[in-house]
Amino acid sequence: MSVFGGGYAGQILYVDLTDGSIQKKPLDREFALKYIGGRGFSSRILLDELKPGIDPLSPENLVILATGPLNGTPAPSASRLIVAAKSPLTGALGDSNSGGYWAPELKYAGFDAIVFDGRSSEPVYLWVEDGKAVLRSAKHLWGQKIHQTSELLKEEIGDDDIHVCAIGPGGENLVRYACVVTDEESVGGRCGIGTVMGSKHLKAVVVRGSRDVGIADPKRFKEAIDAYRETLVGEVWTETLRRLGTPNLVAHRQKLGIWGAKNFQRATIDGWEKISGEAFREKFLLKVMGCMGCMVRCRRYSAIQDGPLAPTYTKGPEYDTINALGAKTYVTDPAVILRAHYLCDEYGIDEQTAGSTIAMAMELYERGILKKDQVDGVELVFGNGEALLHFIEKIPFRKGFGDLLAEGTKIMGQQLNADYYAIHVKGLEVDASDPRSLPTRALTYAVATRGSCHLRGFPYIDEFIKPEEAMAFFGTPSVSDLHGLEGKGKMVAWSENWVTVSNLMGLCLFAWYRSRSFPMLIKRGLDLVSETFVAATGLPMTSEELLRCGERVYNVEKLFNVREGFGRESDYPPPRFFEEAMPDGPGKGSKLNREDYDRLLDEYYEARGWDKKTGVPTPEKLRSLGLP
Amino acid sequence: MARQRIGYFENRQDPENICSRCRMCELMCAFHHHQVGNPRRGRIKVIALGQGEDIPVTCLNCEDPPCMNICPTGALYRKTADGMVQVNEDICIGCAMCLNVCPVGAITLDPVDGVASKCDLCQGEPQCVTYCPASVLKMTDAGQFARYRMKGFARFLQSAGEER
Repeated sequence: MSVFGGGYAGQILYVDLTDGSIQKKPLDREFALKYIGGRGFSSRILLDELKPGIDPLSPENLVILATGPLNGTPAPSASRLIVAAKSPLTGALGDSNSGGYWAPELKYAGFDAIVFDGRSSEPVYLWVEDGKAVLRSAKHLWGQKIHQTSELLKEEIGDDDIHVCAIGPGGENLVRYACVVTDEESVGGRCGIGTVMGSKHLKAVVVRGSRDVGIADPKRFKEAIDAYRETLVGEVWTETLRRLGTPNLVAHRQKLGIWGAKNFQRATIDGWEKISGEAFREKFLLKVMGCMGCMVRCRRYSAIQDGPLAPTYTKGPEYDTINALGAKTYVTDPAVILRAHYLCDEYGIDEQTAGSTIAMAMELYERGILKKDQVDGVELVFGNGEALLHFIEKIPFRKGFGDLLAEGTKIMGQQLNADYYAIHVKGLEVDASDPRSLPTRALTYAVATRGSCHLRGFPYIDEFIKPEEAMAFFGTPSVSDLHGLEGKGKMVAWSENWVTVSNLMGLCLFAWYRSRSFPMLIKRGLDLVSETFVAATGLPMTSEELLRCGERVYNVEKLFNVREGFGRESDYPPPRFFEEAMPDGPGKGSKLNREDYDRLLDEYYEARGWDKKTGVPTPEKLRSLGLP
Repeated sequence: MARQRIGYFENRQDPENICSRCRMCELMCAFHHHQVGNPRRGRIKVIALGQGEDIPVTCLNCEDPPCMNICPTGALYRKTADGMVQVNEDICIGCAMCLNVCPVGAITLDPVDGVASKCDLCQGEPQCVTYCPASVLKMTDAGQFARYRMKGFARFLQSAGEER
């Protein structure tokens, strides 16, 4: 029996794929209080269980699927699943998360997390149902794409009300950035966790559960979630996300001129209206969707119903779809972008890294570094949608030039002696935007513990915090100045601790952090969440302590990376952002300045309590966080 | 008052006013009735048909309810002729005969308690209606629901006329 009053299922499942043994271990109360769940569980287990320096594709690596205490409860948008491993793309800590319905279902089946170790001699899948788990042969599933895998499993199990977490051919063939797809359409894309699943010959994890996720204090819980929902009603972000989804950001990127178009050679896009949120809504949107328990409903469900790419039915696109597969490759045909997105999901490869790597190859081709005979005779130039679709079909099978593209930008850069054009941090490609004109974003992307990431922190606070709030909270009004540097290191560090909280709980960022009011970030993001956590679990918690849990987990991740050899030098944006000025748009002429960036990084390390020379957490800091 | 039930009032012309499969109805139903998170204990279920088609299904509150008629113990009853069929959980033996005869599958055996479980309209304040973010679930009667369908059909005729 679980020692928890609610929230947690109370058990973690350990599966050794080498000998096929399966163990259930009770979730320790102190561990839960310290690391909460999700990224907290996965990061701590990776630090504890992995030997330093292992090959991420060896049997020694782990794959962890972790939920948070609010998954499975009716808390708003508590749908996110964390998938984690040492990343084969970066060699650093790797994790990714996805929405949908799978994480709650794992809780209903009686588990908070699953840890996979070893390697099976032949393809297998794990079938988990109401406290039981068995490994079954997946020989007949190997080679299948995502939807077909689910269809076959539903047929085999004899129920279509099951939830499937699977890899596609990309993961099987060890494309370095293979993703993990849950419920056919929710993608944990980044860092190649699907690749590690593939290396373990683990094709899928299938769950069905009918157990209760308890609520310790139902009356208090209902009040807390009602108050939480209240903060989302009338929030401008909620409305925008429902109407346009994340592609609403296309207009924002164009307005600020922060696209990384043409592999970061252009900051604006001619004819951007064709790929705007409005354009996708008008042309392809069938309906808006919500993940489990979501009232924001930012997810799109789209279809191409006529033309050469029909029929294509897919969830999405997201802003980052359009950025990676459209802006970076300069393909502005929305149907091609949507089709490319669909193919990436079906083959199980991360569209971010796929788009970024193809874009880099396009630049190398245009510069003559890659010759036509090296790229299978394809005219690999920017804007060539056919070339994009061609290679997305090759990468999952490592066919032809797809074999090199399957390595990601960092390795491709090394192999072609063209590092400079690989736009990544720690091996993970820069997503979201070009940070050259907005140094706070540069810092956020560069210090993120999973490699370049716009979701590890929240650097946009400077766009809306009031000077008096900045003064009171960060000790300087400069934080409210978009181009000010002072206080920004502190702000980024705070925002990382804060964002981590949602990843611990299993909450979706988009129903959690989007607000244009700084006090709301505290109220919804910490006060209401800690209240919901207390009501659900019966455990003690305060906003301050919850934020400290976020900081603790961030430090655990840093410790993992330090152990793998990532020091201060790995916390820098790619050289192109220092060397070349932005060529067009409102930020024209902007580039990062080394002195300014060093100053930002120093301040960030100081705020974090990390050694300025090495980036290593100081013993005092670790002690203060209860990390011996 | 005519017999009430939960109706699905979608508008297929508006992508925001169709069931978006957030399953909030399932979650809040189970929470209201059992104070837990467990959609399989909800008395409404979103049926996913693929390619973006999702339809919430729950009890239709039949005029001549087969579930009530077949119940061998009298556990299913109606307080008043217009009210919703309810389950007396103390009398229900979990034989599942009601499941076999329900035309829509809206009565189930609760996976934890093992007794018949169905929509009771939450004693007048259905939680699925309150929490549906798309506002497509409404408490309704057959007459209202038919009028809503008629209106949709009338609009269709109107637009067909415009095209000509």
